[in-house]
Amino acid sequence: MSALPTASFVEVRAYARILIRRHLVSFAFMLSLYALAAIAALVPAYVVGLLTNAATSHTLTNSKITELLEVLAVASLTSGLLSFLGRRRSYILGERIFAELRGSFLLSVLGLPVLAVERAGTGDLLSRTTSDVEAMSRTVRFALPEWLVAIVQTLLTFGAMFLVSSMASLACLVSLPFLFFATRYYLRYATPGYRRERISYASLAGTISETAEGARTVDALQLGERQNRRIESNLRENFYAEMYTLLMRMVWFPITEGAFALAVASTLGWSGLLALHHVISIGAATTVTLYVVQINDPLDRLVSWLDELQMGQSSLARLVGVSGVHDTRPLTGPEPADEELRVESVRYAYGDGRDVLTDVSLVIRPGERLAIVGPSGAGKSTLGRLLAGMDAPTGGVVTLGGVALSELPLSTLRQHVLLVTQENHIFLGTVRDNLALAQPMASDDAIHAALQAVDALAWVRQLPDGLDTELGTTGHVLAPAQAQQIALARLVLADPHTLILDEATALLDPRAARHLERSLSAVLEGRTVIAIAHRLHTAHDADRVCVMVEGRITELGSHDELLALRGDYAALWRSWRHETNADAE
Amino acid sequence: MPHLPYRELPDADPGTPPTQSPQRYLAWLARRQGGLLSLNAAFGIGWMVAQALVWAAVGDAIDAGIVHRDPRALLAWVALVMGLGIVQALCGSFRHQLAVTNWMHAAFRTSHIIGRHISATGDALTDEIPAGDVVNTVMADAMRVGGTFDSSARFAGSIVSWLVVSCILLATSIQLGVIVLVGVPVLASLTVPLMRPLHRAQAAQREAAGRLAAQASDTVTGLRILRGVGGEDVFYENYQRQNERVRCTGVTIATPQAALESGQILLPAVLTVIVTFIGAHDVMNGQLQPGQLVSFFGYTTFLTTPLRTAIEYVITVTRAYVGAGKVLRIVRIPSRFESTSPPREWPERFAALSDSRSGVTLLRGAIVGLVSADSADVVPVVDRLGRFSADSLGVMLDDTPLEDFALADTRRHIVVSEIEPRLFSGRLREELTPRGVIDDGSIKAALHAASATEVLELLDGGLAATVEEKGRSFSGGQRQRLVLARALLTRADILILVEPTSAVDAHTEERIAERLRSAREGCCTALVTSSPLLLEITDDVYLLDQGVVVDHGTHSDLLSRSARYRRIVLRTDEP
Repeated sequence: MSALPTASFVEVRAYARILIRRHLVSFAFMLSLYALAAIAALVPAYVVGLLTNAATSHTLTNSKITELLEVLAVASLTSGLLSFLGRRRSYILGERIFAELRGSFLLSVLGLPVLAVERAGTGDLLSRTTSDVEAMSRTVRFALPEWLVAIVQTLLTFGAMFLVSSMASLACLVSLPFLFFATRYYLRYATPGYRRERISYASLAGTISETAEGARTVDALQLGERQNRRIESNLRENFYAEMYTLLMRMVWFPITEGAFALAVASTLGWSGLLALHHVISIGAATTVTLYVVQINDPLDRLVSWLDELQMGQSSLARLVGVSGVHDTRPLTGPEPADEELRVESVRYAYGDGRDVLTDVSLVIRPGERLAIVGPSGAGKSTLGRLLAGMDAPTGGVVTLGGVALSELPLSTLRQHVLLVTQENHIFLGTVRDNLALAQPMASDDAIHAALQAVDALAWVRQLPDGLDTELGTTGHVLAPAQAQQIALARLVLADPHTLILDEATALLDPRAARHLERSLSAVLEGRTVIAIAHRLHTAHDADRVCVMVEGRITELGSHDELLALRGDYAALWRSWRHETNADAE
Repeated sequence: MPHLPYRELPDADPGTPPTQSPQRYLAWLARRQGGLLSLNAAFGIGWMVAQALVWAAVGDAIDAGIVHRDPRALLAWVALVMGLGIVQALCGSFRHQLAVTNWMHAAFRTSHIIGRHISATGDALTDEIPAGDVVNTVMADAMRVGGTFDSSARFAGSIVSWLVVSCILLATSIQLGVIVLVGVPVLASLTVPLMRPLHRAQAAQREAAGRLAAQASDTVTGLRILRGVGGEDVFYENYQRQNERVRCTGVTIATPQAALESGQILLPAVLTVIVTFIGAHDVMNGQLQPGQLVSFFGYTTFLTTPLRTAIEYVITVTRAYVGAGKVLRIVRIPSRFESTSPPREWPERFAALSDSRSGVTLLRGAIVGLVSADSADVVPVVDRLGRFSADSLGVMLDDTPLEDFALADTRRHIVVSEIEPRLFSGRLREELTPRGVIDDGSIKAALHAASATEVLELLDGGLAATVEEKGRSFSGGQRQRLVLARALLTRADILILVEPTSAVDAHTEERIAERLRSAREGCCTALVTSSPLLLEITDDVYLLDQGVVVDHGTHSDLLSRSARYRRIVLRTDEP
């Protein structure tokens, strides 16, 4: 397994820069609203300073109070309105950016080469699609806007404080080293802790889901006690993961809160002393102190969103990483001369060097029905994948009409060769959506004909809404055999000239399978069909049978020829048909 | 992790909660952590009151220190500001610690109760609630239930600090005191109308986003098919359509959300203006010191915090109430039926297990085939024989009704491996032998019997290898063989295997058939199958139609005399 790549810090930054540049005007507008709101929010503390000055110099009059309070009221109202507009804008912008991010991520996913996904395991991609997108949702929609507001408020309040009296303001700086070092320590140790928390909750969700889905097996094998113990041990891990980050916060919170208190006390004391010595007015001392108190809130938010942003950044790196993997297939290439598939001295080995196929050569005649049989692990499915161009051989070549399959653009390849395996998937959506993947414009008649060909028309007609019945986990759930029929009907609609069926009817009742295969072959008359099968009647019905053992083709010929050969195939056939050797001889 | 001064979670026994109503459930939880909650409330109150009292000290510092020109007094009051700040920081820290602890107690206890329950219900659970909903209830609703115990201390602090501020103001000016005492609840209630549209919009957004996430996961799991057959464009378009819908519902949240956020700041500003206005006149008339005016201004800006906290608390309690309702929906599903007391003892030896309604009898020491044109018809018979259906009337172990035995004994002695048995995550060795330690030799023998030795060989680490969640890294055929080995390793007296080889190839099936006999030597085995390779090894075959026996004999017997049997087993098209 090799995981999908994760983008580097530089790539993530470049990506973020592109996003911001695309929305530069909206960003600028949003930030100006926030800035104006923050400036208006600075007025009340200033007014209180003026009131204090007037009170101590005994110049307070009714009209002055009214005048100042009018200013205070208007400023508060303006600040509230502007912050409402700013927040509204930023939420809307966050939604837009997040939507773009999701869209472009899915586009990258849809362009991933199947091999890369298989090597990484679906789990990797699935966790990016779910938990990383979810983490980004929090970051882009809440953390980032809140953080930007906090920055603007902090900077402007600092600015105002220094404008009122830079000398008085100096005192509050004593708390900065505490804040800086405590936060740096916290981020370094807490961020991995939050990651551990997330992983521990994912494990809990996994156990719960296994237990709920496998309730019958749990009951049958009396696994209840064990599953309960696993849930307990997951919860214990949740507990310790939580305790770790809690411990980190127990160090960080008191230091930051203490630092805030220190800032207020030192500013009050220092500016008070300055006022006592007439260096600044009482009002200025009051205003500066009030500003220091006021700055606590945005400064607190500024640092507390940092861990969320850090996690968002690592999630973004995993999302952007996917866009770096591209299909190596050419976009244009030579057209195959005819429909003949040739396998020439093909060898295939997995990553560990173990040979799955050794020197396999095979010419598939256009229009023939070929059955591939053999024991598990003989390399049948691997050969099927090579024939479908899903993977390239380690040695030798598979050609279609003289062109190597790996040279064909994906769209061309699909028109020619398609593979259906036992693993099928019913997509969320209607029956029609599920069938018309390759032919979005397929008529109802064509869809009906395809369903008829796989013996599925009868039950599809009985579904609540026929072709428009919603399928998948949230809708109507199909039986495995029905899902397999849908997969085959999909193939009929796509109409390639060569079809590879890898155990494509294994989940059907044997008799139904045989009936289906016969009606299918009537529809596929003239098409090349390669069937990898474990039911021998498939071989019996085929034009030629290819027997594979340990990565080699050991027997190749028609059913009757192979019976006459009295080799592996003949022996298997006899035991399958309940003909003892004694009877045969 | 250093030694913790309090106990580890989860508790060994989460207890048995009342299930009548969400209120009673929440009250039950609260009682179980009453001490922690009170302690937390104490720190919450200390934390908030200290924040309020800082303003009194600031005011006095200005009046006694600066206005009255007394540097000593100034420094004394500044020291008090610092002291209160330290009290606030420490109380805040403990308050947070206890809040998280309370949250964990409630959330983990709830998850634990759900987990314990779903481990015991069997498929009664999945009949009633989709597995996805169960996961959601643990991951979201149990956490929301915990949320209310997290914020209760802050709520207590809010109420007390509001009363403290009101009292301080009342002591100086009845008018100002009454304004704050009445004003805060009135202002808080003004935000209520904003909450309903916000919650409605959030619910709509969650639903739309949930659908979008499902669409994305669906695309990923079906990616191989999409890349093989085509249809990426259609999928991208569908996704983008839903994506745009999610964005639009997100935009409808923006207005109420921004209004609530700004309202929580703007509304207290009304108090600030009124209090400062009246206070300024009092200063002018000499009834108030300038520093006191600063204090009053400070109190009203401080009140933003309790106001916001109270609003948040109302939201969390509502969520917890809804969450508790969902938790109870699961916990109320009855556990598996228990037999009449006292249960009979399972016999040392028995001759046969029989079901009079279908006519099937499983004999000790025999392998019996159950054949039907549609294997789904046999499922009710198997469910009765294994006591999976509530109604096992007519099933007898020798002369004793199966219902008279304890369910646990029945499960131990009769194992039913259903059509698609689940594999669980963990080490392969433990997953194959869930009933206790069995030596590697026996495990390997069972794997050999199930023809699963090569599955083992492909794994890094052999028996110590890890099985992924739901065994999804294995192919269908590999999973089926491992599950068969697991069934054999239960060494049950009576083993009923439903379609044990449906996903393996004929060669492998033949191998399994060859080895199954010796693996189940002397025990009682039933095979629900229509495969001639497996039926070859049976001693006795029942042919069923609609769950009732219509013919009975040996495999060769039935082959030679029953056209119907031949049709099902040999798939011949003869009439």
